[in-house]
Amino acid sequence: MGEVIVVTSGKGGVGKTTTVANIGTGLAAEGYKVVLVDTDIGLRNLDVVMGLENRIVYDIVDVVSGNCRLKQALIKDKRFEELYLLPAAQTKDKTAISMEQMKELCANLKNDFDYVIIDCPAGIEMGFKNAIAGAEKAIVVTTPEVSAVRDADRIIGLLEANDLEEPKLIINRIRPDMVKRGDMMDIDDMIEILAIDLLGVVPEDELIVISTNKGEPAVLEKTSKAGQAYKNISLRITGENVPLMHLESHAGIMKKLRKLLGV
Amino acid sequence: MADCNIPDTKTILIQRTLRSGQTVRYPGHIVIMGDVNPGAEVIAGGNIVVLGHLRGIAHAGAGGNQQAIVAAFKLEPTQLRIDNHITRAPDGQKWHPKQPEIASIKNGVVVIEDYHSSGDKHLTLYQA
Repeated sequence: MGEVIVVTSGKGGVGKTTTVANIGTGLAAEGYKVVLVDTDIGLRNLDVVMGLENRIVYDIVDVVSGNCRLKQALIKDKRFEELYLLPAAQTKDKTAISMEQMKELCANLKNDFDYVIIDCPAGIEMGFKNAIAGAEKAIVVTTPEVSAVRDADRIIGLLEANDLEEPKLIINRIRPDMVKRGDMMDIDDMIEILAIDLLGVVPEDELIVISTNKGEPAVLEKTSKAGQAYKNISLRITGENVPLMHLESHAGIMKKLRKLLGV
Repeated sequence: MADCNIPDTKTILIQRTLRSGQTVRYPGHIVIMGDVNPGAEVIAGGNIVVLGHLRGIAHAGAGGNQQAIVAAFKLEPTQLRIDNHITRAPDGQKWHPKQPEIASIKNGVVVIEDYHSSGDKHLTLYQA
């Protein structure tokens, strides 16, 4: 029996889809059987980020309305045998599926997979309600901006009202240099307002843009700091205790030096 | 306005944080054990006491009570309303309260003072 996790944020553009693609790939790389579900009907793009767009025949609306079997709509990833994508429909809208259908779909998927990861659309309307309907756990993604944190707070309230207690937080696109100068909210400021457990912090990284455009999740790039952050997040989801990585390059070098010298 | 005229002086205790988009409305007093985050609203006919960080909107004495107060461990509201007075922090000015404060109407304006539990000057307010 698997676990159904929804990745949500309220605000758009904070990196939900990127997070889903990277966490999913990270979990699959650890040997887990994973399915990614895109619930952003009408504005799908998880398939693009995963580089699987050209393989879509059936989608989530086809599945819930009985046009095809679930297995027919699942797209196998290019890189991992045990990683699948259930794409959203592009020609329909959020009303094409109901909360009951979504619950049933999640219940079916978790029989076959270790992790069912749901990519939630922006907003708090029907699409959000559908995305969280079948979820057991939630991850809230935010960026160090006042508006994103405000929306994350709203979303946490709504998740709690829907019995998704204790969501976990991912802070995305942080720039340690700006935080140091006092030009960007720091992690403590955000934790103080949101008051939920931190699952990970992902630094701003050009490589994310490159990998997203290429359809190859950054989590597989050993040289990418954001990729490593996503890898650590994936490990934390599996229950491993991975410490937060040092974001500042200076601290990193000093730490490595000390390690080398055995101090 | 000399008499405190709160129609229902019952008090409710909210034991959680109010997040953006959440509202609590009550004709009596409201006590919150938790924070009031930006985008949340607390509207009371009587007093509002926040045992936490008040960052959202607080409206005490809603419905006509000049004697109502708003107190918080950290009083940093987006907007503070008592009766029909509406106040906000001056633009471009940021301060972070270090200790509990209390807001009340004095001589027709909303004033914020440090809250001292030993001082009995606010006691009359609680006997509303």
